[in-house]
Amino acid sequence: MPAMRRSVFVSCVALATIGLSLYSQQLALPLRTDSVRFAVIGDVGTGEKPQYEVAGQMIRERLKFPFEFVITMGDNLYGGSDPSDYESKFERPYKLLLDAGVQFYAVLGNHDSPNERFYQPFNMNGQKYYTYKKSNVRFFALDSNYMNPQQLSWLEKELQDSGSDWKICYFHHALYSSAAFHGSSTELRLLLEPLFVKYGVQVVFAGHDHVYERVKPQNGICYFIEGASGSLRKGNLRKTDRTAAGYDRDRSFMLVEIAGDELHFQTISRTGLSVDTGVIRRDANLRNHTVDVWMQQ
Amino acid sequence: MKRRIRVIRLLLWLSLFTFVAPGFTERAPTSQVNEEARDFKIFTDRVQEYVRMQKDLKASLPALNPTNDAARIIEHQHALARKIADARRDARQGDIFTPEVAERFRKIIDRTFREPEGRLARETIRPDSSSKVVVLHVNDVCPEDIPLTTTPPTLLRMLPKLPQELAYRIVGHDLTLQDTEARLIVDLIPNAIR
Repeated sequence: MPAMRRSVFVSCVALATIGLSLYSQQLALPLRTDSVRFAVIGDVGTGEKPQYEVAGQMIRERLKFPFEFVITMGDNLYGGSDPSDYESKFERPYKLLLDAGVQFYAVLGNHDSPNERFYQPFNMNGQKYYTYKKSNVRFFALDSNYMNPQQLSWLEKELQDSGSDWKICYFHHALYSSAAFHGSSTELRLLLEPLFVKYGVQVVFAGHDHVYERVKPQNGICYFIEGASGSLRKGNLRKTDRTAAGYDRDRSFMLVEIAGDELHFQTISRTGLSVDTGVIRRDANLRNHTVDVWMQQ
Repeated sequence: MKRRIRVIRLLLWLSLFTFVAPGFTERAPTSQVNEEARDFKIFTDRVQEYVRMQKDLKASLPALNPTNDAARIIEHQHALARKIADARRDARQGDIFTPEVAERFRKIIDRTFREPEGRLARETIRPDSSSKVVVLHVNDVCPEDIPLTTTPPTLLRMLPKLPQELAYRIVGHDLTLQDTEARLIVDLIPNAIR
């Protein structure tokens, strides 16, 4: 009898594993025509095996979800910026994506040389902070290492002049973070968040803490941390009542699709597990964004 | 009638206070402001002098435009650094942050970190546990293997604005003036962050 029970239990575990594996392969993004599709990675530039494995998973996911570009949250190259660093920490891991014409839009992290801005594949055009538009989405890539008054004035003007439906900001240091190592950049938040609220920024991506975290909307803004696409601080997340979802057991990356007034996201682990998905609906009055979470693990 | 006299008396006192009081309250700060402006003028003049020199030296090198060739970026950075270090081989600490300017900066830094938001500025510069202690000198190249410390935005609001060729960077307890392209230490205030 106990042997039979054990056998049933083993079968259930096996079925659950298969189910989970099939489930993890499921794409939770709608793949609508003319949508804006991109991936989010952060703190990648280690040049070590797990970075390559995450890149491999991105390539596999791209077969199902053909994203056109990748935004990086900084710390693109750890430990120096010799030509060999560019090669082993960027060009080789993402070769297949680069060869397929996928564009990367980088920001500078605290481990990056400011001269990475001259590296064409990072699309920074020699600027430490810059903006670009994809369909109805305006992206603002900021340098959170050095938020001087000139950058703040530039940001305010660009936000003011942006007529885009979606406004997305990204930079290295997280304004809200429940990770133990760095935590929230509160001083930066006091300067940036009022601008984000005033000009209707809906979504903010950051890195720096080597975990994935989705923060509950703060003042109508959805904050994500994706700082675990190369480096990882396993178990570093200290979930608080601000945490909507988090994942710190393995490395991860995000896939995002913006279709009309909806932003769909799916966060995927190095091994292909879907660890968070949801949809953010843009409110026409540019303030109250609702976030529906379909499933969480 | 009595009420009207009381109102007129009150108005007279108010006008007296309006015209005379500022003379007492503003005299001292005005002279302080002038001294501060004079010291900062010295600083900004020297900064501009540096930037002029840097631009001239940069013009003698092939222009660096965004490139796929990482080696070109590094070569440009090193070539510019060599030229600047050569042109400023006699540069000494305090050439730009003169003793008077350094003292002004120290006061601003102390004030910024003391104010109610000062705690947040301190949190901003809290170094990574991996940061190592480095001793820097004028014309040294910033070490690439240590992470950048975020310069507190509230401090940047208080310090004189810099052209884009230069940046204030905190390394350990020092405030450095760094060339953002050559990645050279142009000048520094040791132990500015206490």
